[in-house]
Amino acid sequence: MLKTPLKQSLLRCPFTLWTLVASLSFLNAVSLNGSEEPENGDFWSFKRPEAQRPPALKDETWIQTRIDRFILARLEKQGLQPSRKASPAELARRIGFDVTGLPPSMDQLELLRFKDQQSGLRRYLERLLNSPRFGERMASLWLPIVRYAEDQAHQVGSDLKHFYPNAHFYRQWVIDAFNRDLPYTDFIKLQLASDLVEGPDSPNLAALGFMGLGHKYYNRGRLDVMADEWEDRVDTVTRGLMGITLACARCHDHKYDPFPAEDYYAMAGIFSSIELVNSPPLRQEKDAKGKSRLIFPQEALHIIKDKEPKNLPVYVRGDVGRPGDIVHRGFPGILNGGPQSAFENGSGRRELAELIVSDENPLTARVYVNRIWGAIMGHPLVTTPSNFGRLGAPPSHPELLDDLTVRFIKNGWSTKWLIKELILSATYQQAIESNVNKETIDPANQWLWKAHRKRQSAESYRDLILYAADRLVHANGPSMELDDPKNNRRTVFGRISRLELNTYLTTFDYPDANVHAAKRQLSITPLQNLFRLNNQFILKQSKAMGVNLIKRTRTKSVEEVVSGIYLKLFSRLPNETEVSLALNYLGEFPSEDGATQYCQGLLVSNEAIYFD
Amino acid sequence: MLTNIFRTSGRLSRRRLLQETGFGMGMLGLAGLRLSPVNTSPIASMHARAKRVILLFMNGGPSQVDTFDPKPALVKHRGKPPSGKLYKKHKGDGFLPSPFTFSQHGQSGMWISESLPEMAKLADDLCVIRSMHTDVPNHEPALLQMHTGNVQPIRPSFGSWLLYGLGNENNNLPGYVVLRPSRNIVVGPALWSSSFLPARYQATSVVTNDLRVDHLLQDIKNPRWNSKQQKKQLDLIRAINAQHSQQRPADSHLESEIASMETAFKMQTEASEAFDVSKETATTRALYGKSDFANSCLLARRLVERGVRVVSVYYVNKSNQPWDTHAEHNRKHPTLCADSDRATAALLKDLKSRGLLDDTLVIWTGEFGRTPYSENRNTNSDKLGRDHHSTAFTTVLAGGGITGGLTYGQSDELCMGIDENPVHVHDLHATMLHLMGLDHEALTFRYSGRDFRLTDVKGNVITELFS
Repeated sequence: MLKTPLKQSLLRCPFTLWTLVASLSFLNAVSLNGSEEPENGDFWSFKRPEAQRPPALKDETWIQTRIDRFILARLEKQGLQPSRKASPAELARRIGFDVTGLPPSMDQLELLRFKDQQSGLRRYLERLLNSPRFGERMASLWLPIVRYAEDQAHQVGSDLKHFYPNAHFYRQWVIDAFNRDLPYTDFIKLQLASDLVEGPDSPNLAALGFMGLGHKYYNRGRLDVMADEWEDRVDTVTRGLMGITLACARCHDHKYDPFPAEDYYAMAGIFSSIELVNSPPLRQEKDAKGKSRLIFPQEALHIIKDKEPKNLPVYVRGDVGRPGDIVHRGFPGILNGGPQSAFENGSGRRELAELIVSDENPLTARVYVNRIWGAIMGHPLVTTPSNFGRLGAPPSHPELLDDLTVRFIKNGWSTKWLIKELILSATYQQAIESNVNKETIDPANQWLWKAHRKRQSAESYRDLILYAADRLVHANGPSMELDDPKNNRRTVFGRISRLELNTYLTTFDYPDANVHAAKRQLSITPLQNLFRLNNQFILKQSKAMGVNLIKRTRTKSVEEVVSGIYLKLFSRLPNETEVSLALNYLGEFPSEDGATQYCQGLLVSNEAIYFD
Repeated sequence: MLTNIFRTSGRLSRRRLLQETGFGMGMLGLAGLRLSPVNTSPIASMHARAKRVILLFMNGGPSQVDTFDPKPALVKHRGKPPSGKLYKKHKGDGFLPSPFTFSQHGQSGMWISESLPEMAKLADDLCVIRSMHTDVPNHEPALLQMHTGNVQPIRPSFGSWLLYGLGNENNNLPGYVVLRPSRNIVVGPALWSSSFLPARYQATSVVTNDLRVDHLLQDIKNPRWNSKQQKKQLDLIRAINAQHSQQRPADSHLESEIASMETAFKMQTEASEAFDVSKETATTRALYGKSDFANSCLLARRLVERGVRVVSVYYVNKSNQPWDTHAEHNRKHPTLCADSDRATAALLKDLKSRGLLDDTLVIWTGEFGRTPYSENRNTNSDKLGRDHHSTAFTTVLAGGGITGGLTYGQSDELCMGIDENPVHVHDLHATMLHLMGLDHEALTFRYSGRDFRLTDVKGNVITELFS
């Protein structure tokens, strides 16, 4: 197929020559020989995480949790000091968005009036973690990792048979799983193999949507096309759950990490032994004109089931026309402390799941802890959250990541435990100070001398606008289009398309649903601001806010009403200048246009887009 | 505006700011980063012959043997079944000569059929590649390959790659615009997806069946506030943000948001003007004709004139792939050609008269061509069609450093395959990037553990096409 295998291998692999040269200094540290003969698991991420002794500190007064010891030690080493503690109101807003994706309500703010701030905060946090909103917020983080979508990137004619109109059952399962704090081990096991773990009557069959909502490419059935589909599954599982780029080993042994091509085909074999099915299956029906059409049963789940298991050959250079030696279905040996494991039961999905979430697996818990850290702290410890290999970034705080991972496992792989551990730390609770000296030492704030300012995601920004207009409706069930004017539900319940992702979502950096998304990109574009200035949705919600504002001025002064809006949106009262800005714009008797424009102004301001 | 940002946030590295803020829809691409000392840019420095690309896309696949690649031998072999693995049995009546007369045009003596009389007049500006080939003779994979280099819908489009490499020329307009008369196009948005490239390199897709500006561009105009009200409101937003920033000094993100809001405000005027074809003279509009395709071609000229980097114009109508003439080919082909011919020629002339053709590369192509033999989906022999043909077809280039009047490559006697100088879609992409000053082997993006390219591991620059 290819005349120049050398050229191909150079380009297929992650580094082209110029980057290779540029990176020699980095590669020295991991030895270039590693690319020739994959070594044992000497690399940090292939060794099991170990509990660490927290470092000794000069001054312990700042410490609230164990995390802080690692953070402070590093700050001391860099000649940095932590920032002051954020105010209760700032914290309430921060925690509200981080845990539920919404600002705190007034009665939640009341909880912070406790004399003992930390215990008030604890109660507030408990309440948020127990709110159904928590699972919705976490699902927003999870779904792009598994490239959740409700259709395919292509549609041939009017054929919808490969679409997933009932994908919402999977989404709801994910939301519920976070809300009931399902241990991460079970969370993964059920998604890969609930039918095998709990039997065909498992109450968790919807979890199989993880694979069941996968890609179906053009010309399914052709071997080369199926090989592309297997790659999608391998890539999503390995990068999404373990931070390894095993799909790189489809054409040759991995160039930098210890994964021979056999490892890739051992896992691809598992996915070649399953099929994506609708359960119950679709049926054909004839309409009045005798034209037959496809009916999706309302209760149909898009899941997977085992078929006749088969082992794949290593396809030389990824070419299905060049089958090599057969590889038994299994799991990379390097992650299992021994030679490659061979799976015997059916497709091997259950064994795969068990090895992924085994306490022996050095990566799964680390990768998950790092993702949650990134979401809560605003910046992950490993900045390449889906690549913990040699070409990924090393952790900024390796001992902390190890220690936290070990404690996460000890605490039953509990997501709620982990989030509490992070939020109750002094590290998390810092204010966002600006300080020229500290910024000179650490401009990117990688050592966490202050908290990170966070930008609202596509989901939380739209939710906030509906919340501000008193229109946010909490209802689950089938997805609605986000453009539907009747859709006042949280954004996570909007339909996600691979064929044509909703414009609002694209504009605000929701990732392409065709591939596993390692993290959200952050872009600031004029298109986003055209939406904020002119879009019907935002105008409609601004008007609702404006009408509310006018209604309240019947019994209250404009200043009081505006203060109420500031509390609701920004969890604080307006300062003098802000009050006079409002009074100037609105006048004593606000008009509907004036009130609407004013409210829109607040919704598009930086304080609505960011939180401290 | 950018210099202001740098001045106010000197502590932030230029590279990080660019990576994270994506000014003006990707005004600065990778090439712009070359100035940064921390970044070793993968882009070899090359002299760019073209600054902009216009893709005129004939959805469904136009027939090369009826347009640019005369095959007199088809007459001799009329009705004879082709042999070999390329021929699908039981579908047709054998080789089908073109009923359209070919003649030579221009000083170059380029062969063009009577289907395209207006383009024929510009023969000395055209470069015809008769030796194009693509991997799969099905629409979806071939469309994807022509746009993304890959046959599955999971890769960035050429336009996103170009923006990633070069950035945009105009801060107040999108850098990559897709013009389509209807939403109904086979494959659809995956053809202009930025996929794993950052979202700021995505295309702005415009449905051109209603030419009123506020219908063309979402959110370009406020449906409620007039410009006086909007100015007043913008002042309010500035003041609210100023209060917020006062306690949060030197935050580059907050400053970028403010600057981006100002840009959006200005875009309302500038983009509205750019997308308004009613500003054109009656003479110019008459030159292009009245069809949806003609309007899109005119719009394309207005956009590149104002610094839009990439414009794709799709030829679709009520059918989502009109050039897919499986039946009644000889009836449909001339009608399609007449429309496309007039608008394409008008665009080339218009670009030329404005001095834009020299640095604007225009590509006229389908996803593949059509078979030199017939297929018969009806029993009536008047209704013969031509099937998909991926092994030898024609793509036409003009402007942007291309040699006019050149006919390159040669298909075989019956146009079943290629005799000389084959040009794969990857080669076309490599050549396009080269003309735009980019090295296709160096324009890479790290994703999922490896570096990706538009041309994958293939592609040769066809330097023989350059003027």
